[in-house]
Amino acid sequence: MAPSLGYFILWLSLIFAVLQFIISLKKDTSNISKFHKIAVIGLLLSTLFSFFSLMYSHIVSDFSVLNVFQNSHTTKPLLYRISGVWGNHEGSMLLWILVLSVVNYWIYKLYNETNSIFVSKTLQIQAFIIIGFLLFILTTSNPFERILPPPANGLGFNPILQDPALAIHPPLLYFGYVGFSAAFSLSIATMHLGKNSEIPWYKYMKTFVVAAWTFLTAGTALGSLWAYYELGWGGWWFWDPVENAALMPWLIGTALLHSLITVERKKTLQTWVLLLAILAFLLSVIGTFLVRSGILTSVHAFALDPARGVYILSFVALLGVYSLTLFAFKSKNFLHKGYFIFLSREGSIFVNNLFMVIVCASVFFGTTYPLFVEIFSQNRISVGEPYFNSTVIPIMIPAILVMGIGPVLSWGKQNNKNTAQQILISLFLTILITIIFFLCYRGFSFYGLIGIFLSLWIICNVFVTIFFAIKKDSNKNILSPIGFFKHFNSMIISHIGVGLLILGITGSSVWQEENITRMKVNDETTINNYNIVFKEIKKVIGPNYYALEGNFWVYNKKNIVITVLKPQNRIYTITKNTTSEVSIHTNLLRDLYIVLGDGDINEGWVVRIYNNPLVIWIWIGVLIIFSGGLLALKNNLKFLRQNN
Amino acid sequence: MNLYITTSFKLFIVVVFINLSGLAIINFAHAVEPEEFLNDPKQELRARNISKNVRCLVCQNESIDESSAPLAQDLRIIIRTKIKEGWTNKEIYKFLTDRYCDFVLLKPPFKTNTFILWIFPFVLLLISLFLIYLHNKNSNKRLNGSS
Amino acid sequence: MQKKLFIFPLIIFLCILLVFSYFLIIKRDPSELPSALINKKAPMFKTTSLFDDETILAEEIFGHETIIVNFFSTWCIPCRAEHSFIEKLSKDKNIKVIGVNYKDDSQKTIAWLKELGNPYTVIAVDMNGSIGLDWGVYGLPETFIVNKNSVITYKQVGPITKKIYSKFYQKVQESYK
Repeated sequence: MAPSLGYFILWLSLIFAVLQFIISLKKDTSNISKFHKIAVIGLLLSTLFSFFSLMYSHIVSDFSVLNVFQNSHTTKPLLYRISGVWGNHEGSMLLWILVLSVVNYWIYKLYNETNSIFVSKTLQIQAFIIIGFLLFILTTSNPFERILPPPANGLGFNPILQDPALAIHPPLLYFGYVGFSAAFSLSIATMHLGKNSEIPWYKYMKTFVVAAWTFLTAGTALGSLWAYYELGWGGWWFWDPVENAALMPWLIGTALLHSLITVERKKTLQTWVLLLAILAFLLSVIGTFLVRSGILTSVHAFALDPARGVYILSFVALLGVYSLTLFAFKSKNFLHKGYFIFLSREGSIFVNNLFMVIVCASVFFGTTYPLFVEIFSQNRISVGEPYFNSTVIPIMIPAILVMGIGPVLSWGKQNNKNTAQQILISLFLTILITIIFFLCYRGFSFYGLIGIFLSLWIICNVFVTIFFAIKKDSNKNILSPIGFFKHFNSMIISHIGVGLLILGITGSSVWQEENITRMKVNDETTINNYNIVFKEIKKVIGPNYYALEGNFWVYNKKNIVITVLKPQNRIYTITKNTTSEVSIHTNLLRDLYIVLGDGDINEGWVVRIYNNPLVIWIWIGVLIIFSGGLLALKNNLKFLRQNN
Repeated sequence: MNLYITTSFKLFIVVVFINLSGLAIINFAHAVEPEEFLNDPKQELRARNISKNVRCLVCQNESIDESSAPLAQDLRIIIRTKIKEGWTNKEIYKFLTDRYCDFVLLKPPFKTNTFILWIFPFVLLLISLFLIYLHNKNSNKRLNGSS
Repeated sequence: MQKKLFIFPLIIFLCILLVFSYFLIIKRDPSELPSALINKKAPMFKTTSLFDDETILAEEIFGHETIIVNFFSTWCIPCRAEHSFIEKLSKDKNIKVIGVNYKDDSQKTIAWLKELGNPYTVIAVDMNGSIGLDWGVYGLPETFIVNKNSVITYKQVGPITKKIYSKFYQKVQESYK
């Protein structure tokens, strides 16, 4: 019953979406918001219902639904039956639709007495996007397809996917991608405005972009975190196409966010923003295309079906050609006549934007280049990690240098003495702390030096900004905590987060130590001042698996046990999948990471041990960036509410 | 070893990490194992670095250093044998690409059909810097012209 | 000058679109590699025969007529599925099929062939996979067409199925030229 109803209601939501589109065509805009209310709420409620009926089918293990049959099993824990709803192609597309409807509702909430035509146009574009995705689901990816007679049980599952981080990262990512759809629609509606319109389109767009970017950051990081503790190489980024598919909109989103701030302040960079808003969403949809169409191999290929690829590509083509043609003709209305000073905050933002776009273009080109080569030659090449590392990192270095002084620079013309003072103090502090770092903590390394310097550069500049602000602020005591934290705005918080993120990236990439050895029970080995003793091997029984677990006692220099690491090799009873569970001991300085390989009692086991310095700062850094984003979102929403 | 599944049934599998060798036989290979290590640490480091640049052809986006596929192990052993025999890195890469074409390399070679890939980011960088310079010149002209 | 720039995003977008469309239309399988050995001389090998310990020299086999080389093993399920098509090929008087038994147990292979029939004129044993490595084999089964000048003209990755058979046969005919 539920699935049939869910399917029927999905068609109903298509009707609401079409209704929303048609309403915007109305010439008389007097009561337009009331009509839109019906469409928007109808769409939201119907997609909610549809989504939850799929979820219900998963929860009760209704195997007459093909989607449930293919992806679930009665032994799957409840939490993962729920998250399994979006852990497959059809369900994830339904989640896209749900999030699109939610964002659609918030666009509707923008209505006030003065902007009805503008919001109506935005809703029209949004409706078009929703119709596109709905038709995609209904024609190629129906989650409610039935299989009769219903089988007794499902095809099981991939145990690697039963994980909390992996469960929540798709919804976060989709809020990101879909948030950019709002920016896209707003961009198009803006371009339809005449010159000199009073509508603060950039304020609306900024709210959506802040939300989208914040959630995209969190979603991407969670994916990396999962890869780190699940996949067993001590790495967290592999330049896999699906990772790149999330990174590219994120880079453009970062650029877009900062340019929107500039538009708000200085009214400049408007055409740039309109273009970035289009690109961010196009990249989000193209990313979806790349990982579902089967034209690229990826660790994460969802569904290798060219038919779906054709649809998404056509849809992207429509959106892109329309928006970019509009841009080609209309954007000249938004050119700013003023002077753009490069040595200023807006200048640093724009320069950094260029760097972000170049990195994004490189990632895009690297990911798709093999396709170009194949068209024009018999040979086939592959572009992997080494390429991306060689091209992205050299460009990020100047980008981060510029990012560091951004907060120090003021808007418009500088008070040169003031600015120079701050930069010099930051430089001094950065160099000082870098030297201390290398004296106390780690052996010298060229890349390590660059990484630590950049990380400290960002953080020192931020703190120098705060101190100078406090000093200017009626001579408050610099060391008073209230005075200090009062100056922590979302930019300061997020930038500190980025500094810590770079610290973590540097530590874990440059100074990772590896020890691969074969150990029998009672054997010992060392890594980075730790003595690791293989004390025992035992059989362990879990809820739906049995495992071989190794117990490794870790002794520090003083011969005290600091932890027991227990990596497992699991066999899942139903599907016969085998997985290797990593065991990690974390502290602020390093992760100790151990993987149990193959072996037996006579020959011993292959044991892989990694010492990953400073890894936790990656996750702490992202958490802080996320908090900064949430704070910014709260402030933006407050402003909108006051004005609507 | 890799198998081609005769897919007479359509299943859309959410694949995260296919250990393709695990499909047919019990897999006794794993990522690089201690027994494969060469005695000379310098040679071993060379072997690891080369392996990290060679794609595992039966996996999705892994190097042979990380992969547990038997073919990956074969290639790791071949590479170490060649290093011991005195082959240079270039010769070893050529050995592999002669048999498996350039796709086997994770780092695309710098050839006529790939040089545009390598210089692309830096060309973009130069173009941007040039545009900034032009814009700056125009801005200054306007600033100075109007004052 | 700035106004003319605004058309660039559209142009770049259209180019990228064209490339993606091309790939969708040709329906290519991203995991299938082109062979590095097409139009190159077949790599030579020296090994023993499956049934007795007689030496097999590739130089003696290639260079006189078109040969089809089929890499197979008993633990490869699709090899079993394509066996009937290999047999069909071998029944053609003008076609000679040799098998390379890749990383397998010889006794098991002999029993396997007894059960299914032996379409091969010669079976070379590749115990450690070195012949496969030289031929760029990365999965089973793989089938090569070697013409009378010892040049590899075609490589089939994956089993020969009903759909693929006629195309493959055509490629064999082409190699006679």
